[in-house]
Amino acid sequence: MDMLASLLHMTPAIFWMVVKVVIVFSAIMLLASVWTWVERRGSAMIQDRIGPNRAAIFGKIRIIGLAQLLADGIKFFFKEDLVPEEANKGLFWLAPFLAFVPALIGFAVIPFGKSFVSGGVTYYLSVLDPGNGMGLLYPLAIGGMAVYGVLLAAWSSNNKWSILGGMRAAAAMVSYEIGMSLAVVTIFMTTGGYDPAEVIRAQGHLPWAWNIVHQPLGFIVFFTCMFAETNRLPFDFAEGESEIVAGFNTEYGSMKFSLLALAEYSHLMTASALVATLYFGGWQVPFVQNPTVMLSVASFLLKMLFFAWVFVWIRWTLPRFRYDQLMHLGWKVMLPLSMANLVFHAWRMSQGH
Amino acid sequence: MGVIVKKVELGWLDRTYVWPVMKGMAITFGHFIRNLFTTTAKRYTIQYPDMKKEIPAGYRGLHELKRFEDGAIKCVACYMCQEACPARCISIEAEEFSDLNITQGFEEKRPAKFSIDMLRCIYCGMCEEACPKDAIWLRNDYEVAAYDRLSMKYGKWDLMNTYAEADGKDRITEDTTPTVPRRTIVM
Repeated sequence: MDMLASLLHMTPAIFWMVVKVVIVFSAIMLLASVWTWVERRGSAMIQDRIGPNRAAIFGKIRIIGLAQLLADGIKFFFKEDLVPEEANKGLFWLAPFLAFVPALIGFAVIPFGKSFVSGGVTYYLSVLDPGNGMGLLYPLAIGGMAVYGVLLAAWSSNNKWSILGGMRAAAAMVSYEIGMSLAVVTIFMTTGGYDPAEVIRAQGHLPWAWNIVHQPLGFIVFFTCMFAETNRLPFDFAEGESEIVAGFNTEYGSMKFSLLALAEYSHLMTASALVATLYFGGWQVPFVQNPTVMLSVASFLLKMLFFAWVFVWIRWTLPRFRYDQLMHLGWKVMLPLSMANLVFHAWRMSQGH
Repeated sequence: MGVIVKKVELGWLDRTYVWPVMKGMAITFGHFIRNLFTTTAKRYTIQYPDMKKEIPAGYRGLHELKRFEDGAIKCVACYMCQEACPARCISIEAEEFSDLNITQGFEEKRPAKFSIDMLRCIYCGMCEEACPKDAIWLRNDYEVAAYDRLSMKYGKWDLMNTYAEADGKDRITEDTTPTVPRRTIVM
């Protein structure tokens, strides 16, 4: 590794950083695009349909419809890139990136595997090493940023449907962020720190010591809020074809639209990674005291993909909430629940548990 | 008249959302698993160009003008189908012919031209019902499409050969009887 680094005129530390960044972000982007396929095939299975299975490379290799990803990508690239006449052009261009980047970089602090020591140097398997001072506050803050992409996309396209969608997304974000944050704060409190590495270490390798067992209420609140956060059904108020056409991305086409769609799926990946880290022990392997690095990475990936699948699964199970029902749920149910969760655990801690 | 709407009383378990959501997820997951382990052939979807629906007997698809075993057309150009057709898509021109050597025998009438505009046809089967000679059938071919309007106009020979391949018969492109009718009085 050192030799490779010197060949590229980098210090080993920077080289390792670059490697991590490339691996993590390309993995997330790959998973996000694969998940569009999972979503379509999975929803088809759930609804007794077949789903996209006919796209084929050279008209021969179908690989159970995975070629659809390629076809979609090529199609999006060659579509005409329309910008509405009256749109705010700068913001219109900026919005997809503002939606995409926060969704991607929210993953930066999450450890996706056990750290290992090689040649006297500890290598941490997260893009930012633990002890960076931001910890889990970072993905939460970045998650809050994500709504700017949606709102800007809505606002800049100068379309009434779009602006309605953007407003709804912003309102939903406000009403859910508090409940979600309080649920996470409870975890910080019981852990005694907000570094993801610490949160994972505190949970240990036994499944009944994980936060899901101690704070099922917090998990339900957090997971529900993640649906609102990622703008997915049953809380996809930024879009809604029966009410506001396509919502915030009505005016978007070609690569910009695909970037917005990819942002949604990257966000989904980051969200499921967060759920796995906060409530399911991150990279901890159940009943294995000292897992190997590969095993821990596999365990984390499995947990993450499972929750990503649950996002898809729930989407095709539940109908959409009405807008006022969402507000009701956010302010009158989620917020008190997470507060009760917080107070309960504070009381438990004061009792010396 | 009023309709009594029964109000469903939700129990506390249902009002938590969580339990009903989990029940719903169990249902959808059941569907998912069932479909995951069913082969494509056994799914509900018929994947059209690869798989085709079995056409029931009595289906009204593309028409065929029936022929006798020696290849002579059964149609006697009585215009019954043309009259019965609600879409007015059939047009017939009759001619006379006579030959002693064919099944129909003697002096007969037959269509010189028989055309059906498939773009107009509504596949109602009225022509089939009206036909006194059982000469026009609507059968099981439903893949009637073309790139232009003209080729959707099926003439006499098209109609006689629509099911020639399916039935293993020869394609015929001319009357097995002389094209110029001979007037011979036979008694």
